Amino acid sequence: MSALLVAAWNESRKPRPVVLVPTLSGRPEYCLTCHADVPQISAAHPTGTFGCVSCHGGQPLALDADLAHSTMRGGRNPSDFSVVEASCGGANCHSGSAAEGRDHIQRALTSVQTTYAGAIATVRYAFGAQSGPGAQQGIYAIEDPHSATGLTALTAFDPAHDANPSVQTFAANCLNCHLSAQPLPGAQYARFTGCAACHAPTAGTGVQLNAPTLHQLTTAISYAQCNTCHNRGNYSMRDLQFHPRTDAPADRLRDYYQPIAQFTRCEYTLDCVDCHTRTEAMGDGDIHGNKKEIQYIRCKTCHGTPTELPLTKALTDPNDIAFRLALLNPVVDLKIGDTILVTEKGEPLWNIRALPGGAYELFGKASGQRFTFRPVMGSRCTQNPEDQSSASCHQCHSVQR
Amino acid sequence: MPDVSRRDFLTLLRDGLLAGSGLLALGGLTRFLSYQTEPPPTTEFDLGPAANYPIGSRTRLPDVPAILIHNASGFSALSLVCTHLGCTVEQKVDGSICPCHGSRYDEQGNVLRGPANRPLRALRVEPNAGGHLILHTD
Repeated sequence: MSALLVAAWNESRKPRPVVLVPTLSGRPEYCLTCHADVPQISAAHPTGTFGCVSCHGGQPLALDADLAHSTMRGGRNPSDFSVVEASCGGANCHSGSAAEGRDHIQRALTSVQTTYAGAIATVRYAFGAQSGPGAQQGIYAIEDPHSATGLTALTAFDPAHDANPSVQTFAANCLNCHLSAQPLPGAQYARFTGCAACHAPTAGTGVQLNAPTLHQLTTAISYAQCNTCHNRGNYSMRDLQFHPRTDAPADRLRDYYQPIAQFTRCEYTLDCVDCHTRTEAMGDGDIHGNKKEIQYIRCKTCHGTPTELPLTKALTDPNDIAFRLALLNPVVDLKIGDTILVTEKGEPLWNIRALPGGAYELFGKASGQRFTFRPVMGSRCTQNPEDQSSASCHQCHSVQR
Repeated sequence: MPDVSRRDFLTLLRDGLLAGSGLLALGGLTRFLSYQTEPPPTTEFDLGPAANYPIGSRTRLPDVPAILIHNASGFSALSLVCTHLGCTVEQKVDGSICPCHGSRYDEQGNVLRGPANRPLRALRVEPNAGGHLILHTD
């Protein structure tokens, strides 16, 4: 009798299910019964189309919270790299072909922000754990026989196999910033792992990572979001510790962590993603040994040199990826016939458009702000066209800190 | 008040508990047997009299979602579900565009721009005996 009463009481506590039948799966889900207050994650992922289960997993028809959540992928974060293929993959989603620009997962999993290959190699080489400075190990083991860099595999970094205590100390204290690492405590470090580390805006929101309202994906990634890993302190080779900065950097020009760094105006005014491209941040699908190999944007990419204008491209193909990127982050209304800047690798700088008269306009991807600038060619600049490192440009254009 | 013996009281209590258990079990069984699964989505839509859709008209049907086209060839209908991932496309002057990932279709539903690579699905539309148009999505 008692058991029946308990069962009846339990039954009576269950809410009346709220049914959602997403177009994508066509199968009913009851998730909104409890989660009606969760905002739609992005315009590209409407709740009515995707539902919840296609990304998060879980038991779609369970009304008991524990049962419903028992098979969720990645806990609150289905984009964690341990489950990302099941959550975000698929040929029509984020593991499609490179030709269509849909190989996001493949690129992210092999990017230096994920493998941390450069830092690991530097430390292991410095302390004699490997004979050369080239990358050999990453956070995970990865393999790509077709990698165009010639680096076709990384074995998993396992400090237990490195007898050197300095390498073990590095492993214990310094692996905080790759995309699978849990963030350090503190609001200034608050970010998710995997894709959401960059694409879920957490920085400066003051919202706890476990808040149900924190449900947003964006390509409008602010400088502050990058700062949850970058500009957070320095690694010391003396004690092999990460020394996090204790202040909250507010002034981008003066609060940079490297006291000797020089900046010109665009470097402390724009957001990082306004200049740095998708492949620089997410990788290009090949295995790279360090950041320097993949990061290639220079001042000349946008400004040109005294003898060359920046590279441009007229948009004639409606299937140009620039249109898709501009649709996902509509800070600029691109049209057929517009001329945009492109990098030397052919990546579209879709937020920078040529204007009549020789100037260019840049729309901040996170701020939406419009900036205009002119090319170097035709200016008084006498820079050697072959000498295009930022240090060279900073000789005239850096701002006093 | 008549005296109730210990034996009678226990018998009464036992019978009461048994009856209660039976009722609860019966209630549970009734609820279990009367459980209705989610009905399958509607695949037939009564669009009303054909005369409501003059020749040359293109009528958006948000509940389907679809667009009903009446031209010289007769009635036809196109699904407004994007063939890429299933978002509902938005009607524009010269076709339609998917708000999710930017696929574009012409007025006939042919793909003008990806990521979709299949045309919008043509739906069957036919009049019934009462002169109403019936749209089939299956």
